[in-house]
Amino acid sequence: MKRFDYFRPKSLKEALQLKKTIAGAKFISGGTDLMVQIKNRELQPTALISLRSIPKLANIEINGGARIGALATISDIIQHPELGYNYPVLAEAARSLGSVQIRNIATIGGNLCNCSPSADIALPLLVLEAKVRLQTAKASREIPIDQFFIGAGESCLASNEILTDILLDPPHNKAKATFLKKGRVKMDLAIASLAVLVEMEGGNCHKARIAAGSVAPIPLRLSKVETLLEGNAISKDLVSKAQQLAKKIVSPITDVRATEEYRRQIVGVYVKRGLEKILG
Amino acid sequence: MKTEISFTLNGSEVSVVVNGHLRLIDVLRNTMSLTGTKEGCGEGECGACTVIVDGQAVNSCLYPAHEIEGKSVTTIEGLHMPEHKLSKIQQAFVDNGAIQCGFCTPGMIMSTKALLDSNHNPSDEEIRDALQGNLCRCTGYVQIVEAVKRVARQLKVKQ
Repeated sequence: MKRFDYFRPKSLKEALQLKKTIAGAKFISGGTDLMVQIKNRELQPTALISLRSIPKLANIEINGGARIGALATISDIIQHPELGYNYPVLAEAARSLGSVQIRNIATIGGNLCNCSPSADIALPLLVLEAKVRLQTAKASREIPIDQFFIGAGESCLASNEILTDILLDPPHNKAKATFLKKGRVKMDLAIASLAVLVEMEGGNCHKARIAAGSVAPIPLRLSKVETLLEGNAISKDLVSKAQQLAKKIVSPITDVRATEEYRRQIVGVYVKRGLEKILG
Repeated sequence: MKTEISFTLNGSEVSVVVNGHLRLIDVLRNTMSLTGTKEGCGEGECGACTVIVDGQAVNSCLYPAHEIEGKSVTTIEGLHMPEHKLSKIQQAFVDNGAIQCGFCTPGMIMSTKALLDSNHNPSDEEIRDALQGNLCRCTGYVQIVEAVKRVARQLKVKQ
């Protein structure tokens, strides 16, 4: 393995300063993706700048809504007493990520910044319409999470920017959501995955949010399917139309884990299963 | 760039000087000569390198050595009892035929310890979930789950 230096700055300011000074340096949070990329020589950083020693970056605060520090581990999210109660779909997705050993180290911010199309945590955050806070040395900005992902392995983060927080609005009392994931075994990366959120009002679907994983270059909001469902009673016929539409608008690839056709099929099945699970 | 790091290893305070690119498993096996912890895949899939850091099971192959500063690490060597007797978990694995080649065993046992330290009465599902990140290519998993259940029963009786 190529040698590199390792820094553990104690503040965001120090971390950003180091990044600016050292050409070829990378930020590391949990490292469960990054360390593998380094081992496989997909990445050859000159230095790693760890964000793990920066105070408060791993905090989870409930304030009506929630603020989740980017360095909170997946286990922190599962074990937090209120977070899972307020946003069960987030805890559901967190429990499906990797193994215990991975969940104890991997962070929510790392899962997002790795920008894998299969990122388990991205889907509940997409249907919950989370915002992410990005910070440079001088300024911070908040953007909706569906604008964060640009392509496979690519986010809108600038090189001098750090994802610091994930922000959630207070949970809506009529909103119900679920997360479904297809893998060969439980700890696999998703062959395909889906999160669905529905708010019903007077027998009609007032709001629908659907996001799919591993079926496009990015974790994808299925906006057209959402529009199809909204304002209507969710009949068998409508569910069937939603399934067909979802299968049509995703753009999966064939790789070692599954074929394009299979992934499309799973998305269709999961749209139905997700809606059935929520509506009973 | 070398840095000195201090941490607790199997109950003893230690200090080592490490390079930035080293991982916890490199320090354990090469610097500390604790070769009970195995490296299988080196990618966090197989769990052979599992150790316990501050009470949590982690893959030592994915853990940068520098991050261990100030933390407490327990490896398979830390489980030994007086007079070189096996710990309860190790003995249960032996008694249940939960070992063949033995390569995955230290990792399996550390994952089991992390589980039982926080949950004395795990369900079958909780046991399987706790061992999801540990692969065994010889025995199959039935004997291993049985071994964990046996230790859990012993802990329950003790309570």
